[in-house]
Amino acid sequence: MLDKGSIISNISDQLRIKRQESARGKTHNELSNTVNSQADALKVKNVQIKQWADKEQRAEAQIHIRTKAMDAATDGIFIIDVKNKDFSVIYSNQAFQTMVGYSRKDIIGKNYFLLYADIADLRIAEEIKNTLQKDESFQGEMLNFRKNGDKFWNYLRISCVRDVNGVVTHYVGIQTDVTLMRRKDFEIKEQREELLHVTRVGKLAEFVSSLAHEISQPLTSILSYAQAAYRMLEGKDSQLQEILQYIINDDQRAAEVIRRLRSLLKKSDPEVKPIDINKLINETIELMATDVTVRNKVIKIALEPKLPNINGDRIQLQQVLLNLISNSLDAMEGRDEFRELSIRTSLNGSEEIIVEVKDSGCGIPKENMKKLFSHFFTSKPDGLGMGLSISRSIIEAHGGRLEVKNNPEGGAIFYFTIPVGGGVKEWS
Amino acid sequence: MPIFIIGGKNLMFLDKKIIYIVDDNESVGRAIKILLTTFNFEVRTFTSAQSFFDSVSNNDPGCLLIDIHMPGIDGWAAHKRLLDSGSKRPVIFISADKHENAADRALKAGALGFLQKPFNCQALVDLISIVP
Ligand SMILES: Nc1ncnc2c1ncn2[C@@H]1O[C@H](COP(=O)(O)OP(=O)(O)OP(=O)(O)O)[C@@H](O)[C@H]1O
Ligand SMILES: [Mg+2]
Repeated sequence: MLDKGSIISNISDQLRIKRQESARGKTHNELSNTVNSQADALKVKNVQIKQWADKEQRAEAQIHIRTKAMDAATDGIFIIDVKNKDFSVIYSNQAFQTMVGYSRKDIIGKNYFLLYADIADLRIAEEIKNTLQKDESFQGEMLNFRKNGDKFWNYLRISCVRDVNGVVTHYVGIQTDVTLMRRKDFEIKEQREELLHVTRVGKLAEFVSSLAHEISQPLTSILSYAQAAYRMLEGKDSQLQEILQYIINDDQRAAEVIRRLRSLLKKSDPEVKPIDINKLINETIELMATDVTVRNKVIKIALEPKLPNINGDRIQLQQVLLNLISNSLDAMEGRDEFRELSIRTSLNGSEEIIVEVKDSGCGIPKENMKKLFSHFFTSKPDGLGMGLSISRSIIEAHGGRLEVKNNPEGGAIFYFTIPVGGGVKEWS
Repeated sequence: MPIFIIGGKNLMFLDKKIIYIVDDNESVGRAIKILLTTFNFEVRTFTSAQSFFDSVSNNDPGCLLIDIHMPGIDGWAAHKRLLDSGSKRPVIFISADKHENAADRALKAGALGFLQKPFNCQALVDLISIVP
């Protein structure tokens, strides 16, 4: 494109030439004709110049508007220059700066990926780089961190800007902070899961009761056949009788498993209601009081006052408490110098309640730690090994965890968490 | 004066208590029958309450051992039908399902009792022996 200066100098050159021509004796007429046509050309040029100037002004205004619009956009926008191999940012809008927490000065000329904090998942950065280097556009959602370490979910789209020959010269990126949307999704998911938990607790009970029925029938006939045979062999074959006695014993043990299972999941549909866990603990201790006294033990309680309610099935949670307490009593059996069992409640942040049952019993040998919660693991001659596994299912159905650790001063500490009722857990 | 009892068969009849077992699970019925036979009871089994009513009249002596949960007439309904027909037959309920307060309900209805399956033979025989 020509500029105004070069047009003017071009014209004055021509005038100079014309003067030289006239000096060589060209007629005045000829000269004036030339001058006239030159003047016309000059006029046209002038109009052109004015048009160019207007155009340029409009272009400038347009750039101005675009820049303002980019800064007004709520999505973060940035441009990366491909010439610089290190993904340096040559432009970023206001929203981008707000989103990442850096000032424009910090951003321009910086490698885009360096704006990702160290804690960010670098595999994603690699993935983006690889995609761009293949001249493809990228789209994805990822966890990013602002300069101050705050995290946000970034829905990022980067596409390639090409010149007339189709060569990629720049990348333009748009990123949206979708943290709020994510949180909404998360809340919905949580609520759905909460509902699922409730039905799962119900389904479990339903399943157990039909399973119990199905298994009880053959157990009934096996027991009766075996007892009949045992009686028929009275005074005839004591060896066979001994075998039959084993069958009878095992049948009765199986029946006991079912009886216990049933009593643990007594009601067919769990009633999920707000529960004051402290109150439930007090009621449970009352239930156990005689047993505790007879076994010459004491239960100490340290209950955090004014705990928020939790949502759950009273009977099932009481079963968990009963299991933990009776396990602790078992662990302290025959150790008269260790008599103390303590139950504590506390609030972990505002999200969950922790209930801890601590005893001064025999503790748990390391090799058993992993097996405790598996079905039917027991170290007791008359144990069924169902208490802990069922307790854990119950707690997990309530959205919590049941864990164990050894008390450094001896004994075991079992604790479970239950999410605070009503509200949905904080997003993290 | 010596007492003459006429007919060995009658004597047997007087000695042996009769037990009717009604359970839709055939194996359970058979097993309990074999077991009770070792206690010297005379046992007849049925797989439905209807077939029991069809072949045993109210005048026939004997104790009824009946499952609660059965297709058709269930244990409770069968008991009611007996009572309504004026029968004084002793009844023992059995069930593989867990019934809250089943024992209470059975006693209130005038039955001998309730046994949760699987039950011990001694518990069953103890209940039966309540009947004179
Ligand atoms: N407080 C405790 N201290 C030490 N060992 C424990 C404690 N609680 C549980 N255990 C160990 O974990 C095993 C499994 O416990 P769990 O309650 O599941 O079954 P159990 O008590 O053996 O039988 P049951 O079915 O009657 O409860 C126990 O046999 C015991 O070895
Ligand atoms: Mg236990």
